Amino acid sequence: MKSKSLLFVFVISLVIFSSKIFAQGPPIFTDSPLLLGLEGGGIRTFGKYISTESGQTYIQPLVIPYNVTTDFQIGGIQPYVFRSPDNGESQSGFGNFTLFGKYSIIQIDGRAKTFRALLKYTQTFTTGASNVSVDANASQFSIVTGYITINYGIYGTVGYTFVSNDLPDNLIYNFAFGYPVLPQKYPPFQLNLFLELNGTHTLDVNKHLLFVSPGLQLMTSSTFLIETGVQIPVIDDRNNTKFVYTLGIRYLFF
Amino acid sequence: MKHALKMLIILFSIGISTSLAQSDEVKVRVDGLSCPFCAYGLEKKLNDLDGVESINIDLEEGLVTMQVIDGEKISEEDIKTKIKEAGFTPKEIVFSKKNNEADKKE
Repeated sequence: MKSKSLLFVFVISLVIFSSKIFAQGPPIFTDSPLLLGLEGGGIRTFGKYISTESGQTYIQPLVIPYNVTTDFQIGGIQPYVFRSPDNGESQSGFGNFTLFGKYSIIQIDGRAKTFRALLKYTQTFTTGASNVSVDANASQFSIVTGYITINYGIYGTVGYTFVSNDLPDNLIYNFAFGYPVLPQKYPPFQLNLFLELNGTHTLDVNKHLLFVSPGLQLMTSSTFLIETGVQIPVIDDRNNTKFVYTLGIRYLFF
Repeated sequence: MKHALKMLIILFSIGISTSLAQSDEVKVRVDGLSCPFCAYGLEKKLNDLDGVESINIDLEEGLVTMQVIDGEKISEEDIKTKIKEAGFTPKEIVFSKKNNEADKKE
């Protein structure tokens, strides 16, 4: 039982302390360097269902970004967690709260294309219910880049997470390729396909987790989109995660 | 003296018309317009300008066309400022006047 609880903490810490579930923009699991549109003033929520060998977990985060300037964004993430272990009672409660800041450092614009990069910092606090949250603070520094044209988008993120309470730090790396199926126009009616790689290497214990993550995104207006994706582990040193499924929306308020 | 005053008024008028172009339509090339959802922020910013009647965005050409309310004036500087505030790079701006005379600026 204790080992399963530790396994749960390990899986949740991988999910929460890697940036992939809190990625801000299209693509679905990887961050975008754009601080515009749905990635600037868009409130985002999505359901994330994680199936593991020891049970199921459902996470529902609410992400609220705010653009302080054109180049600087801050925001907060508050998840709600439902945990249903195979051997034990179901539990639920608020997860740890995360603050983040993004600062754009490179912007090279061309006709119908752009290359951008930003620095991102996230700080996770131990505010969550103890039965569904990791009892450790985490600070993550990452570089988010992207080359985006109206024909395709290539995105990449690398980052390092410092974790307190003697839990191991981790390295994260995300890569995404996005392809719009329909002609890009404005106002949009858009269908985007994504293929992503989302990796986490946990130091000290030297364990690796790599997902291949196909996704689909439907944009029905300038202010709303719905998206879905599945993360399939191709490298899982713990041999624990079966799959991760997500279904979410983004709505532009500001 | 009267001639000098007349010249002064003409020069002043030219100065005004350069910074506040009166036109039916303004076409602006905007770099960095790579996705439909980010174009929304640009549309919102440009709509803040007084005198804008409607806005059309052509993503493939990176071209923004603004229809201007009759008698209203929009300055080139204001347009550039709004585009930069939206997170994009303004390029050529063309003012089309009622007599179809285009005044190209870069």
